[in-house]
Amino acid sequence: MREILIALLLWTGGLFMFIAAIGIVRLPGLYMRMHAATKVGTLGISGLILAAMLDFADMAVTTQGFLVIIFFYLTAPIAAHMISRAAYYSGVKMVAHSVVDELKEARENGEEKKA
Amino acid sequence: MKMFLVNIILALIWGAMSGEMTFASFLLGYIVGYILLLLTQRFTGAESRYFGKVWHILLFIVFFLKEMLVASLRVAYDVLTPTHHNRPGIIKYSVEGMTDIEITLLAKVISLTPGTLTMDVSEDGKWIYIHAMFIDDPDVLRQAIKATIEKRLMEVLR
Amino acid sequence: MFAEWDIVSASTTGVMFLLWTAIVLAMYRLIRGPSLPDRVVALDLIAILMVGVIVIHAITTDQPVFLRAAIVVGLVAYLGTIAFAYFIEKRGRP
Repeated sequence: MREILIALLLWTGGLFMFIAAIGIVRLPGLYMRMHAATKVGTLGISGLILAAMLDFADMAVTTQGFLVIIFFYLTAPIAAHMISRAAYYSGVKMVAHSVVDELKEARENGEEKKA
Repeated sequence: MKMFLVNIILALIWGAMSGEMTFASFLLGYIVGYILLLLTQRFTGAESRYFGKVWHILLFIVFFLKEMLVASLRVAYDVLTPTHHNRPGIIKYSVEGMTDIEITLLAKVISLTPGTLTMDVSEDGKWIYIHAMFIDDPDVLRQAIKATIEKRLMEVLR
Repeated sequence: MFAEWDIVSASTTGVMFLLWTAIVLAMYRLIRGPSLPDRVVALDLIAILMVGVIVIHAITTDQPVFLRAAIVVGLVAYLGTIAFAYFIEKRGRP
């Protein structure tokens, strides 16, 4: 029973990470690739670490595993935020079929700093 | 806060009594301690906010995991099918009247639910800019974020 | 031949294969570009995938020590991404 759960967690984690990698190749535009890479990737790694925690079934590994998961959940959004902000202000364009860009409007109205 | 410490001490005592300090025994001790404190609330005269807060935090974690899984599947569907369904864009979201720590946490949670990504905070701290993958109508998305993520986060924080 | 077969070791082999394929795919984006932020995002994903590889390795060799290596890789990758973001913003062009 435990083995099946471990295998299930391993496969979900691995598949999500694989989908993140396909997404980074296939999706158009930097900002959309970031959606796939940072978040689907984070979900995948937490699945793998949960599987390792179940497999070792040990207090030290469990606490360390939780530490790693919390660490990834804390740092992934910061990294994504900093990269997207830097990319936007250095002039990376959004894809052509974008619907709306209210940050651009705000900058043109003088509410935000110009690059 | 005091009740939280008492609860942790009860969990440690439970672990010491059962003779094994594993994660499972600590968790069990915490749950038993929580129920005991809840039942003896009338006699100890402790503040009652703690009990509701634990419940809100638990509900928030469950909600967050569910949201993350559902939205990940949506991104996965868009990645795996040959035609792209995405309608990306950047929207403004009002965070007026929130403290810095609340804005930080809200931005984090928005970033972690795939489909939305916090890009920037305005200089006066009144707006955050969100890049979203599936925008049908900006106002509908704003309403959705306000009604789900912000509401539940505020239940935990306030 | 199948006496040693169990579902966990079979899964680790399969998932390990998936992860290495994913690393190759991310490599493609790393080389192809087109802009520097694209490459940074690809590098970040490769780091997370490497952490996954290390975790799987810890399971197959039954050595929990490798999880500490995973923490270190994650930390260094995070700092690298932050440094790159700062650099891109200072440089002011993609």
